[in-house]
Amino acid sequence: MKKSLRETGLAETSHGEGGIAGHLQYWTLKIDESNPFMQIHLDTMLVSIVVAAGLFIFALWLKNRLVEGAPTGAQNFMESVVGFIDQTVTDNFPVHNPLIAPLAFTVFVFIALINTIDILPAFLIGNVAHVFGVEHFRPVPTNDLNLPAAMAVSVFVLVLYYEFKLKPMHFLRELVMEPFTSLVPIYLKPFVMPINLILKVVEEIAKPLSLSFRLFGNMFAGEVIFLLIAFLLLGGGAVGMAAGFFVGLAWTMFHLFIGLLQAFIFMILTVVYLSIAHQPVEH
Amino acid sequence: MSLDLTFIGQIVVFLTLVFLMRKYLYGPMAELMEARSNKIAEGLAAADAGKEAFAKAQAEIAEQLNEARAKAVEIIAAAEKRAAELSEESVTRARNEAEAIIDSAREEVGAELNRARQTLRAEVADIAMLAAEQVVEAELDASRHTKLIEGIVNKGFGNA
Repeated sequence: MKKSLRETGLAETSHGEGGIAGHLQYWTLKIDESNPFMQIHLDTMLVSIVVAAGLFIFALWLKNRLVEGAPTGAQNFMESVVGFIDQTVTDNFPVHNPLIAPLAFTVFVFIALINTIDILPAFLIGNVAHVFGVEHFRPVPTNDLNLPAAMAVSVFVLVLYYEFKLKPMHFLRELVMEPFTSLVPIYLKPFVMPINLILKVVEEIAKPLSLSFRLFGNMFAGEVIFLLIAFLLLGGGAVGMAAGFFVGLAWTMFHLFIGLLQAFIFMILTVVYLSIAHQPVEH
Repeated sequence: MSLDLTFIGQIVVFLTLVFLMRKYLYGPMAELMEARSNKIAEGLAAADAGKEAFAKAQAEIAEQLNEARAKAVEIIAAAEKRAAELSEESVTRARNEAEAIIDSAREEVGAELNRARQTLRAEVADIAMLAAEQVVEAELDASRHTKLIEGIVNKGFGNA
């Protein structure tokens, strides 16, 4: 609801700044103009660090108030989240690894919190940033591919680490032998092996790619739809504004649900990928 | 929409957050929750053990009560038996004593009777002698006839 109200007031002032595309620009610090990699999105970094710091401060605050008896308030809520994550990890994991549950917990809470920023009015933070002289500001870091990719790649590296640590020969053998090479006669194996390897590499690379693009795509599309609602409906007089208000409200609720769902999906896939890496070798 | 240095920065942020969350939020909470569930499990186990101990104690009490009851019945039976024995004994003793008293009385009576009989016998002989002396008025040889008279007297008292 807040979002739509804000949009009502701010959409007009923002119309002339390059339309939707203008709102999809990052606050960028370019280190090397010729190299597109050598730049940093200050908005993404700032918001994610603020959220992370907020979580850390909350953790410190809660740690000193933990009671062993019946929990109440924040502790009760966090215990239900911890219990839920713990149950998910226990259900999926063949062995106990003390790193997995905290990792899944962080993934879930961090993504859920960041996605929730999206319910703030579309132009609010951008306009606040304008006040401070920042031309572009994207308030939701999950809309920036860098964050989902960073998390997905971290998880992927962890998966590879466990694959090599727990069953190195099995993993290498699977890369060249499964599913095709083991099916063909021995004289054909040398020819099939490279094809098999390429296929397996694509399969493995697809994991972090799908993980990051799923989250990024959902959140990015959600943001674009918010902007579309603002631009298409809010300019259409009283009827358009009323319609924009209700459509914006509905989309805010739906998007809130999507944000939570995406956090859950990212978390559960992280657990599943790591669980596959921990599965004992079948003979 | 391309990757850049933010990607590296985000990896650092994410991994740092994982480390911090593990150390300051998830770790303490998971420990606390585990401690609590252990405590609850211990409490439930203690409650079960208490119930079991209670049931055992009750069974023991019932057993001891039964034993005590049986013992009491036994003691009462023994006491009754002893009382019966004692009463029988005293009756027997009383009877024996009575019999003894009767016997000694009978003996005494017998002895008295004998003594009286002998006295009577001597007196009767004297009286007879006196009577014979006076009636016959004849000279009688006391030593010769005394024997005769005693014989008669004895014959006369023979059946007494």
